[in-house]
Amino acid sequence: MAYDEMKSQAGGVRAPYRTYENWLLSLPPDLLRRKHEEADMLFRRLGITFAVYGDEDGTERLIPFDTVPRIIAAKEWKHLSTGCCQRVRALNAFLTDLYHGQDILKAGIIPKEHVLTNNMFRKEMMGIDVARDVYVHVAGIDLVRTGENDFYVLEDNLRSPSGVSYMLENRAMMMRLFPDLFARHRVAAVDDYPDILIKNLRSVAPSKCKGDPTVVMMTPGYYNSAYFEHAFLAEQMGIELVEGRDLFVSDGLVWMRTTRGPKRVDVIYRRIDDDFLDPDAFNPDSTLGVRGLLEVYRNGGVTLANAIGTGVADDKATYTYVPDMIRFYLGEEPILNNVPTWRLERDDDRKYVLEHLGELVVKEVQGAGGYGMLVGPTSTKAQIEDFRLRIIANPSNYIAQPTLALSTVPTLVEQGIAPRHVDLRPYVLAGETVTLVPGGLTRVALTEGSLVVNSSQGGGTKDTWVLENDPC
Amino acid sequence: MLSRTAEHLYWLSRYMERAENIARFLDVANRTALSASGDRNAFWRSVLSIAGGERAFNARYGEASAVNVVSFTVLDCTNPSSIYAALRAARENAHAVRSVIPNELWEAMNATWLEVKSMDGPRLREQGLIAFCEWVRERSHLFRGIVDGVMLRDEPYHFLRLGTALERADNTARLIGVPLGGFSPSGAGSDPFGHVHWAVVLRSVSALKAYRTVYRDEPKQTHALDMLILRDDMPRSLQSCLGFALKSLEALGPDLECTRMTGALQARLHWSKLDELLDKGLTAFISDFITANNHLSARLHEDFLMSA
Repeated sequence: MAYDEMKSQAGGVRAPYRTYENWLLSLPPDLLRRKHEEADMLFRRLGITFAVYGDEDGTERLIPFDTVPRIIAAKEWKHLSTGCCQRVRALNAFLTDLYHGQDILKAGIIPKEHVLTNNMFRKEMMGIDVARDVYVHVAGIDLVRTGENDFYVLEDNLRSPSGVSYMLENRAMMMRLFPDLFARHRVAAVDDYPDILIKNLRSVAPSKCKGDPTVVMMTPGYYNSAYFEHAFLAEQMGIELVEGRDLFVSDGLVWMRTTRGPKRVDVIYRRIDDDFLDPDAFNPDSTLGVRGLLEVYRNGGVTLANAIGTGVADDKATYTYVPDMIRFYLGEEPILNNVPTWRLERDDDRKYVLEHLGELVVKEVQGAGGYGMLVGPTSTKAQIEDFRLRIIANPSNYIAQPTLALSTVPTLVEQGIAPRHVDLRPYVLAGETVTLVPGGLTRVALTEGSLVVNSSQGGGTKDTWVLENDPC
Repeated sequence: MLSRTAEHLYWLSRYMERAENIARFLDVANRTALSASGDRNAFWRSVLSIAGGERAFNARYGEASAVNVVSFTVLDCTNPSSIYAALRAARENAHAVRSVIPNELWEAMNATWLEVKSMDGPRLREQGLIAFCEWVRERSHLFRGIVDGVMLRDEPYHFLRLGTALERADNTARLIGVPLGGFSPSGAGSDPFGHVHWAVVLRSVSALKAYRTVYRDEPKQTHALDMLILRDDMPRSLQSCLGFALKSLEALGPDLECTRMTGALQARLHWSKLDELLDKGLTAFISDFITANNHLSARLHEDFLMSA
């Protein structure tokens, strides 16, 4: 039986949800469903939509929005936020070290071959200094809960994580639909996220920039699945939303084409993968990038956020070393736990995992979006056998974890309000400081019993409330 | 502002204006065909001359019947000159610059597109062409209302205004020059049906009432041309459209070649007498004007480094 965040074990209602539950009980029967329909209509009109890859008709879909909020107590949040910031500090220290002296490899804490043969390790970055030693400016830390005090980090997303616009839009929608709820609760505000982000981005101007830095947001274009978010954040930060074709390199600097001639660009918040950034340096077929960008970057002519080469720190095998990084670089004990993980390139681990495939979750080391994973308990024999062959063919490409009983939160479904599994992605911002706004994106698996919360797999989202003070 | 942004803004308002103008003309053709004697198909065929795509129409539909012309110009997604395609293109361009335009403008354009996307033949018949054309006009009024009502008067605003002005100039010129239902305006004002023709043309730009107020007469060719070409208090006249364009261009780049070209063309309309403009005939005047207007548009792309 999974832990339910509203109804505690004893059958009562947990403190953070008490006011909400009272309100819920006082509602006329159909109200929540009507509000749900209203939200759908508004999201569609606002064009807050999501394009699903591989979907041939190419139409934009809504990510299902659930009107029941996920509520986090103030003291729980304090624990989570300190833990997330600690992780990001350690990950930035790791990347600085990895692309300079590699002390952590010399100390034998992480095996050399694991990192140096990883195809997300960018040797082009060796010896390059980035502003303030910040590689990861925005991190999405995926958390799950399994009990009253049991939180685990599932993964660190360090390559332009998306979804923060939903955190902001979900809150705006809830305030519009249920103003009276916000009068009854002290919910911490999240809307200064864009202000903190732009402040951080301005604080990491490259060495060649003297004076007021020009920051831009770079998108692959308006057919990208996350285009809405790119446009939304650019607008909120008041910066230009550029595509690769709007930029060019000249005299060792990056410029954008404007109606009044070329304008210099100092900081690029890019929402485009390393591989597509510069056809001269990476994927030569990329039409999304800017020729010569890497060279300018290496010479301190422009800052990229996140930096090139952060992928080596967020793959699911490197993940297992993050607690060691925290001890090594910060001299602290990790505040948040990792999920116990088997690395399948190890003989003992592999033997155990292959014997217990039906109970475990197996993931590709660099997989994302819920693609390329096996959830043992809900898979068919054929799917399990298929995965077994894939693991044997390329063991180092996989890790395995126990199937966690993710916590549930009440959710409006066909049959009424029922518990559904959730995770939580807070967004950590690094620059002048390392901080995060009190909130995040709660993703919910809408299918009964399902543990896969990804929007590409039919997951939905909820507004996430962090209470300013806990009820006694 | 990014050159690409300027381009999207310019085309966004051009397409919106185009959708409105197709709807205006369809509406008038429809009302006229309902009451006219003689060859009704001729009216419907003139819609094609104005909206464009006549060749594609002939290849796919053949007979210019009401049903065929309406199918082709309203909802045919393969016809780049249909209302459907214009609203789709307007929305695509708006999507690409949604971080630059007011939220309510984007929402309005998106809602317009979602509505037309859900429209099909049976729904259109149920709603009726007149109501549909009214709706398109209203969406275009809403678009301009938001632009005028809330936008900062800086570059994005002026590029939007430019798109509207140049598209409208093109449309008014076509409207004046096209033979409508068998009546050829270049055949001078002696045609006994001339007043019917000009009443239709003026109605299609919502100017019939204004015409009566100004001239206190039944529609005559000389007055109608004066109104549609020269009057600067008539917002859809060629002279007004160029005036709007010039105002925006002076704000965007007073020293640019496209500004000079617009100014020269506008000055010619402003200072010439109607019969001087028409000394080579109406057809020649209109065709020269459309060419000059196209040159302006091309020069605009060059001056602002838009990719055209």
